[in-house]
Order: sequence, then C-alpha cells, then structure tokens
Amino acid sequence: MTVSEPESDATSPTRAAVRDRLDRVTDPELDRSIVALEYIDTIEIDEGRVAVEFTLPTAWCSPAFAWMMAVDARDEIEALPTVEEVRITLNEHMHETEINRGVNDRLSFAEAFPDADGDVAAVRAELDEKARVARQYDAVEALLEAGLDADVIVDLRLDDLEPFEDETDDTETTETIAVYASDRSFAVTVPAAPIERYLEKARETDLVSAADDVLFRTPEGDPIDPDSFELVHQRGRLAGVNMSSQGGICDGLREARAGRLEESADD
Amino acid sequence: MWFATYFQCAMYQHNGEEIFVIDGHVHLWDATEENITHEGGEEFIQCFYDYHTTFTPEELQWDIEEYRKYGPERMVEDLFSNAATDMAIFQPTYLTDFYAEGFNTTGQNAELATEYPERFVLNGSFDPRDGDDGIEYLEELHETYDIPGVKLYTAEWRGESKGWRLDDEEAFRFLEKCQELGIENIHAHKGPTIRPLNRDAFDVADVDDAASSFPELNFIVEHVGLPRLDDFCWIAAQENNVYGGLAVAAPFAQNRPGKFSEIMSELLWWLGEDRLLFGSDYALWNPDWLVEEVLEAELTQDDRMEYGVEWDLETKKKVMGENAAELYDIDIEEKRRTFQDDEISQQFGLGDHYASEEPAAADD
Repeated sequence: MTVSEPESDATSPTRAAVRDRLDRVTDPELDRSIVALEYIDTIEIDEGRVAVEFTLPTAWCSPAFAWMMAVDARDEIEALPTVEEVRITLNEHMHETEINRGVNDRLSFAEAFPDADGDVAAVRAELDEKARVARQYDAVEALLEAGLDADVIVDLRLDDLEPFEDETDDTETTETIAVYASDRSFAVTVPAAPIERYLEKARETDLVSAADDVLFRTPEGDPIDPDSFELVHQRGRLAGVNMSSQGGICDGLREARAGRLEESADD
Repeated sequence: MWFATYFQCAMYQHNGEEIFVIDGHVHLWDATEENITHEGGEEFIQCFYDYHTTFTPEELQWDIEEYRKYGPERMVEDLFSNAATDMAIFQPTYLTDFYAEGFNTTGQNAELATEYPERFVLNGSFDPRDGDDGIEYLEELHETYDIPGVKLYTAEWRGESKGWRLDDEEAFRFLEKCQELGIENIHAHKGPTIRPLNRDAFDVADVDDAASSFPELNFIVEHVGLPRLDDFCWIAAQENNVYGGLAVAAPFAQNRPGKFSEIMSELLWWLGEDRLLFGSDYALWNPDWLVEEVLEAELTQDDRMEYGVEWDLETKKKVMGENAAELYDIDIEEKRRTFQDDEISQQFGLGDHYASEEPAAADD
C-alpha cells in the first residue's frame, strides 16, 4: 500500500480513521472487510480531501458488488467530520469507467448502468440476509459453548444482553457480554465479538431492533422452534461455508491475476 | 514392468481397489478467434482461463492458445491415456450469440462421442426461448443421438434476453417433452459468475419448482450452485431428485484442501453419498491430474467429527462413477469387459488393466 501520511490536525482526518472506516466496508458476497481482503491499493489524504483506490480479484467481478463496495467506501469516509471530499477509484475492472463516474458523481446504480435489469438494493438485501445467517451461527456457537441450551437460546431477546465488565482481571481482557437467560434467573458471560457482529447484521436486516425482539431467527426471518434449532444452526454453518468457499475462489483468482501481472512486468 | 508401476501411480486403483471413473462433465470447445463473433465470447474464454490457472498446478497449466481449441485427439489422450477416467459425459454449451459455430454444441461433441460410443455419453440441450423450433430441435437430437440427458445454460444470452428460468412456463413445456422422450437427466449449470453472464441467471431457486413438478426427471445442479451452495443444499435436502455435480468444487482438492474438506462435508451431510457426481469440467481442469487429487483428498479430522461423514472408499466409488452409472444406466462390469479390447484400450495399452478381475499386483 502506498502511504502518504500528512500530519493530522483538526482539518484533516487521520490515516487510521480512514482505514478504520474502510474496514467497515465488506465484500457483500464474502462478508469480509475490504481492508482484510487487501482490495485497497492506496489511501491519499490532502487536508479535507481523501482519495482511495481499490482493485478486486478479477476484472469481471460482479459490477453490482463492485458498485456496493465503492458506494459504501465513499459513504463511510464521508461520515468522518473533517472530510470535505472523497474520491473513489476502482482499478482494472471492465466497468471501472461507469462505476467511478457513477460513485463520484453520485448517480444511482440504474443511472450508472442503464441496461442493467433489477436494482442493486434487492441484491444487497439478499446478501445481507445470508451474512446475517452465517453470523448467527458464530453467535449461537458462542452461546452453546457458554453452556446455554437450545430452548434457552431460541427464547433470548435483545434486552437479555448487557455489556459485562470483568473487574477481577486487570490485564487486557477480551470484551464480554452478559446473557440473562430463563426470565433472568441466571446469566452467563460470552465473548462480545461474535454477538456484536451478529447484532450489526440483524439490525441492518431489520430483524432485531426493539428491546423485546427475539434475537435469533430462521434464514426466513421467523423465530426458531426449539425442535428445529439443530437444523437452523446447520443452515447457518452452511451459509458460512458457502461464503468462505466463494472467498477461496476469489482469493485464488486474485493470486492468479497478481502472478500474471508480475510475469508481464518481468518481460 | 515400467507400465505396471506407472498405472499404479496413475488413477486406476486407489488403495488397491479399482475405482471406475465416469467424468460427469466434459466439453470439446472451440474458442478460436475466428469463431468469436461477440466480445462476450472473448470475455467468456478469458474468464474460463482465469479459473483454469487458478486451480491448476503451475507446471500443468496450458497456454491460452491451446486452451482456445484443443481438438478431439488431445481430449482422448487427456481423458484416457493414463486411465484417469473410464468414461465421460459430454455437456454442451451453445453460446451461439458469442460464437459463430457455437462454443461446445451437441454436434461438435458428437464428432468424438460417435467415434467412441462406448466411452462417451452424449447429452443434448434445449433453450425454451426457441419456442416450437426448439421443441423440434430437441426431437431431432433425440432421434439422431438418442440423448439421455440435456445440459441447460439458464444464463445464456439470446438477443435482448440475458437468461431464462427453469420454472418458466415455457421451460416446463420442454421438460414435459424431455419426460415424454425419456430424456431423464437434466443438468443445469448453476455456478460461479462467468463474465459476461449475469449472476442472477445462475440463481438456483428455479430448480426447486422444476424438480418437484417433474419427480421422474433427475436434476443435476452443476457446480453445486457455488456461490450459492447454501441455497442448493437446502433445495437438494428437500427434493430427492436433485443431485450435485462437483465440477469447480473438485479442484479445490488441489490447492485449497481445507475448503475441499468443508464443501464435501456439507454436501455429504445435506445430500448423502448417493447424489453427488464427479466432473472435471474438462478442459477447465484436466482429469489426468484432477482425478488423482480428488481421490487422494481427505476430510480433516475436525470436519469428520463435526459432520459425521466420510470420504472413504465406498463413498469415492459412488461419487466418482457409480452414481453417474445409476443415472445413465451404465453397467460398470459389462463396461470393464468391453474395455478389455476396445479401440481406446488398444491405443493406450490399457487391455491388461481391464482384463484382470482383481487389481494387478504392483509388478516391478
């Protein structure tokens, strides 16, 4: 990654802040951060202006997904208080011209791609739902590991969760959440990360927002019958395997492309 | 004898047992520049080539020119010369909007299939957008080649159309015709995004309705729906006439063994060992190395514990050949007898292999 690090001051975002924002943008098909996936080529900061360049695994990655990532990156960085202008550049893609123009000129997907059928919102919603299901698997695994039973887990509601301060340990600890079960008759503590990751998508997909909303759902969005808990849990695992398998394909394609670029540079 | 040792290494036997391999997914394509009439054709073959290089060991990768058109002789050699496969099933891909003579049509495949009818199964294809002409063409394929199955490409571009669905009314008309003609095996390509074909046209949801409406037909979802493995498994768990074709999943064995283990575990858990069919997707990947990789692959200890499934000899025999034999009414023992002295065995000196009831001992 090329680095151009200005001194941070009140009129300019820090590099860490920009990176942090980009880290929240996911490849929608893989549900992984575009920073972790190493899609980001450069971040340049010039006072209030931020320019980000990125490259996807192939030149023919879905334009709809590329669009989502570009728009999300723009919106995330723009949310920083000292940012005045954001410029996003997608490199080496068959539709880079349409996407770069569309994102930076704030067109809609339909305006940027007049011949595309269907809107990008439906695709995004479908992938968000899959990400939610896969994240639920990790959250439920954490609860099972903490000793909760299936019939307790399917009954949990949002207000059964509370941040938990571990006061007995003064070293750096992982954040935990207290889960109050069976009408608050007892509580267990679990690592916060998988629960919070799940809640983020559950909120985005409008499944869990009110305090008394049932926390976990079937892939179709319904509360879980205790008898089908196992099956729903296995569907969650399957959703995760699907995304990580696709990740394996994308990753392989990216390596193959990098190898070819290196070879042609050697010629 | 040097060749006995060679066969031992090659894919004839696995742990001393013979495994009859039917490659359920092969092509004989032509993507030469002279045949390309639309930029989509060039994008398509370049994309295939990306998949080829991504999942092929470096020293075995082809160059793009030989990849465009490899011809029948090379194909026979790749499939059979080291006995990697015993039989193969042609799955046509027309793409006539991109390629003047088509990319990989039934007629192109028939050139080889009719030369070695014992070794190849020849499938046809239909496109419901062709209407009455399409029905006529399907009847013609049935009469000319007695096709036992069709390969369908729902994402194929045709004029303004960017694809079709298996649960369309018009598609049902073609499926009814298949049923009437005894064309029982419906292979639907549902796979990774291929530029320039739209991702949504690879959606697997339409298989559900078609499979439950035509319980006498078998629906083989090629590429197990990746990147919609989850949707595919969920549908297959409910429809017992839905099968999974392993093309694309198989080469994970070579350079993503952990992922291969996970994918196979999921598939075996949701579908069981009777509804999965091996396919190399030749020439995307070459069975002359792929078969061995898949047979040698192992599930991780963690996956075996967690899923309670095995990739053992019995399972391999089914997935690599017996399941396809079941769908295509292939008598494996009879084939073994025929292959003792068929043209292919003579050409590559394979007679001894098929001659022995018991696997030949390692003779060096």
